[in-house]
Amino acid sequence: MEDNSNISQELLETIERYYNGSMSKDELEKFENKLEQDNVFKSQVEDIKTLLFGIESQSLKEKLDEFHKEIPLQEQTVETSSKVRRLDFWKYATAAVIVIGLGCFWFLSGSSNERLFNNHFTPDPGLPTTMSSSDNFDFFDAMVNYKEGNYQKAIEKWEKLELKQPENDTISYFLGVAYLAKKEEASAIKYLEKTTQTSNSVFMNDANYYLGLAYLKAENTEKAIEHLEMSSSDDSKELLKKLK
Amino acid sequence: MRQHHTIDSQTQLVDAIKSNDSEALKSLYTNNYYKIEALVLKNSGTKEQAKDIYQEAFISVWNNIKNDTFVPQNETALQGYLYQIAKNKWYDVLRSSQFKKTNLMNPTMTFEDKIDEEENEEEQEIYKQKLKQAMEAFKVLGSPCKELLTTFYFEKKSLRDIAEKLNIEETTARNKKYRCMEKLREMVLASKP
Repeated sequence: MEDNSNISQELLETIERYYNGSMSKDELEKFENKLEQDNVFKSQVEDIKTLLFGIESQSLKEKLDEFHKEIPLQEQTVETSSKVRRLDFWKYATAAVIVIGLGCFWFLSGSSNERLFNNHFTPDPGLPTTMSSSDNFDFFDAMVNYKEGNYQKAIEKWEKLELKQPENDTISYFLGVAYLAKKEEASAIKYLEKTTQTSNSVFMNDANYYLGLAYLKAENTEKAIEHLEMSSSDDSKELLKKLK
Repeated sequence: MRQHHTIDSQTQLVDAIKSNDSEALKSLYTNNYYKIEALVLKNSGTKEQAKDIYQEAFISVWNNIKNDTFVPQNETALQGYLYQIAKNKWYDVLRSSQFKKTNLMNPTMTFEDKIDEEENEEEQEIYKQKLKQAMEAFKVLGSPCKELLTTFYFEKKSLRDIAEKLNIEETTARNKKYRCMEKLREMVLASKP
């Protein structure tokens, strides 16, 4: 580092703004002009930038050892996976019982709409949960519950997130599907309607499909058809054929 | 559809890392370590070496995210990139003659991933040297200054928050920060070889 001493507080703060990109367009233009014309200035700026980056790099480096202590033990991962397998068995066993039970149920009772709903409804498979972004941690944490079929727990977690991000169509979509999986169509409709009101939502197609199913379950065939027609998925088309 | 959503999460993750979000850094760090450990252990390394090489790779990845050298293209791009860099670094270690002779690796950090081929190698060398000096000076900087600068420059807390926490005026915090930077600069200048 050269000894271009006397870097004033003002200059330091100007370079900070340059470094973190918070200069106004006007200021940036003037600043860059000066960089081009004044070599002493340029090397002062470079030195401070290096210093700032050095502070950040060293801070991170020192953080990593803290992070390292928080890596979960591998034995634990092995344990969880065997637990998951055991859970899977029970999940399948329970699913089988439910399917058989429902079969009897359809056979013995239920309106035709109810039957159609039960025949067609399978919960959305959910999103892959390998992601590890911190903002999304809570979201994906709930996704794990959702995928395990623990809809109540997933709903509780997502509803908390929903309060913070009421505009988020991903959250409202999965809340809708989770409620529908719990056969609470009124809440499902509330959330799915919200998703379909987000223009250009990537979930538009699926949300309309599940809304159709939710209205079907609520014995509102008219609304069900309306939403199924807005969805271009094959499932929707098949269901529409049966409804008409 | 789902593809689209997950790329969004990558972009969010990258943004969080750019702002040194502690939780994001921690989860990226802790979730990807074992893959590297397995690789290093399988290829004649120790756990200690796995940790060193992983941390080195992690800093390179962070560095490349900050200067926009890395932009995610798919849902697991960042995790894959981290693995790839660590893997390359480990193979470099295996190839190096030092490893063959003494089975020890050089623990100093390298920033070769930052090198832009077109840039002058000598200039890069000088930059690396300066960065190293800055890091070393900061490492031994007295703790009140070090804490203040870490909170401001790394954790990106505002001067107002810092002042509140230290129970001082905002202008005092501002002056303190400036004096700490002067001190650090002095130390770097003194460490000049």
